[in-house]
Amino acid sequence: MEKLILRRVDRQNEEMILNFGPQHPSTHGVINFLVETDGEVLKRATPDVGYLHRSIEKIGELVGYPGFMPYTDRVDYVAAMFANEGYAIAVEKLLKLEVPPRAQWLRAISCELCRIASHLVSVGTMVMDIGAFTPMLHGIRERETINDLIEALCGARLTYNYHRIGGVAFDLPEGWRDKVLAFLDHFDKFLVEYDRLISFNEIYVKRLANVAVIPGPMAVNYGLVGPNLRGSGVDWDVRRDMPYGAYPNFQFKVPVGKGYFGVSGDSFDRYYVRCLEMAESSKIVRQALESLPEGEITAKVPRNIKPEAGEALSRVESARGEMAYYVVSDGTNKAYRVRVRTGSFTAMSVIEDISPGLMVADLVALISSLDVVAPEIDR
Amino acid sequence: MPQTVREYTGSIRNTVKSFWHGLSITLSYLARRPTTVQYPDRTPMPVRDMLPPRYRGFLEVDTAICTGCQACERACPIGCIQISLEKDPANPKQRVVTQFDIDEAKCMFCGLCVEPCPTGSIQHTREFEATQRHIRNLVFRWSDPLKPFPVYKVDKNAEYYPRVPLGSLVRARLETLAWDRAAPVFLPPEPAGAAKPAAQPKVAAAAAAGAAPAKAAAPALKAAPTNGAPAAEKPAVVAPVGAPAADGVKAPAPAKAPAAEQAAAEPAVTLTPETK
Ligand code: SF4
Ligand code: SF4
Repeated sequence: MEKLILRRVDRQNEEMILNFGPQHPSTHGVINFLVETDGEVLKRATPDVGYLHRSIEKIGELVGYPGFMPYTDRVDYVAAMFANEGYAIAVEKLLKLEVPPRAQWLRAISCELCRIASHLVSVGTMVMDIGAFTPMLHGIRERETINDLIEALCGARLTYNYHRIGGVAFDLPEGWRDKVLAFLDHFDKFLVEYDRLISFNEIYVKRLANVAVIPGPMAVNYGLVGPNLRGSGVDWDVRRDMPYGAYPNFQFKVPVGKGYFGVSGDSFDRYYVRCLEMAESSKIVRQALESLPEGEITAKVPRNIKPEAGEALSRVESARGEMAYYVVSDGTNKAYRVRVRTGSFTAMSVIEDISPGLMVADLVALISSLDVVAPEIDR
Repeated sequence: MPQTVREYTGSIRNTVKSFWHGLSITLSYLARRPTTVQYPDRTPMPVRDMLPPRYRGFLEVDTAICTGCQACERACPIGCIQISLEKDPANPKQRVVTQFDIDEAKCMFCGLCVEPCPTGSIQHTREFEATQRHIRNLVFRWSDPLKPFPVYKVDKNAEYYPRVPLGSLVRARLETLAWDRAAPVFLPPEPAGAAKPAAQPKVAAAAAAGAAPAKAAAPALKAAPTNGAPAAEKPAVVAPVGAPAADGVKAPAPAKAPAAEQAAAEPAVTLTPETK
């Protein structure tokens, strides 16, 4: 980084080094980009992360196994359910616990609702970064309904802390199922309306198609995950390819970027894959509510959680892509090491190599199409 | 990019068309009922009553059914619950809770403390509007150090535990206490090895022991930082002995001394420092 600042800047050209962020509204959180520009064209944009580091992994070593669960909410606060689930699965692997089916179904339901909520924020803010304000409000309005539903389910709107080691915290409240089904009926119509409202708007499409193309092999090499990877045409989804929890029981498609209006892997593909994924999540929630088994919602968990020495890795498909928890136990009641692998961090690394040649305004499109969430980068 | 005239005009037509699509949707919302509500004064009822019953708001402890098991204290990952138990000097068989503090300013409302409670004494309420001018007033002291409450004996056959209506205790506190009332005063930390060298280890021990009731001799009261119970209905303010306040002399140890013969050796009230 220092080298970059000190590099001699040729004043004959219009070269400049700008700080984009950390307080810029389009950076989706506290991230700084060192942007080298020549006029309107980018030479390079270097992400500078770490402003939101909260030592969550270290906290995992200091509080006990159940006590770390509320902290996982803070890893990715837009989609906290997945962080809950990943950690719970990792510790269950350590404890060799069998999670009752009803709990697994409830996990899938809550996670898919959370995925819809997260994608709504993602597509909404993306549209807003491009310059249209109204669609974001539509997205936020729908998300509000999901927040209400999840609040009725677990008592919180953002930091859910709903999953527990060995199951989930609460069963469905009364009448919740019908409310969710009513919402999903409304939501499927909303998606069509949203596509008409903005997704296929000619200006919007032209603005995003062929912008900041990440080819498939490059996406794989950079370790992109989730919708960013699928937007580049790579057909990989942990829910389908390495199934966990209740997912083998559901039928769903994995949308892949096909170059809807430009080439595969451009910003529009990454955006539109999310729109399609919301429809798939809605299908999964319906199927899960349909086939919800009866029974316990938590396994028999020892009161004092003390896994045998060992290690466990769990992978879940979060809204921002594959999220992995790696938990090492040394036989005491606190983890020896907790490591969280998140999608946003690798998504940041690709920016530096994609940015040369982009326009300054396209950098905003790139960042928002990658859907990075600053706390998830730094943890 | 070379473009034919047809492509060019086609683009313009598409733009106008999709623009109209979007605008027609936006316009249709003009005629619909608004989704937003005006908080806080135009809601049909107080927002706390519109929240779902599982809402995780301020914590409430019904001291009448608290068994003093400290499960909630152990479950809290932050350590914002502090419970001290002592033997009742009048009745050595009975244990009393001399301190039950919840620091709602630190609490992250995760609900982990609610789950292990055997009687449902500690519960989340739907209260969330509790602005305080001084952050120390967010420490809810559920046990009055002067009137410690006896622990609840669980009846094995009881089908339910009689609990006051959820939220009424927090509500009463928030309504009776002014939001900008003065914060309780804590003693500054003892200067190391200064005036009272004998008191030092006791403070350290009390801090180290955490929940365990610190057995300190009567003078240790000076060392342990105390704070006034802010409740209006509990005017007995435990002021530091060194403080000039006249009613501060009503310190707990002298008040208890005639009641219990062994109080001099083992005072009923010893406050551990505010935080662990
Ligand atoms: S809600 Fe969570 S943070 Fe608050 S006191 Fe209970 S366990 Fe501690
Ligand atoms: S509130 Fe409940 S968990 Fe806490 S000490 Fe009392 S009975 Fe035990």
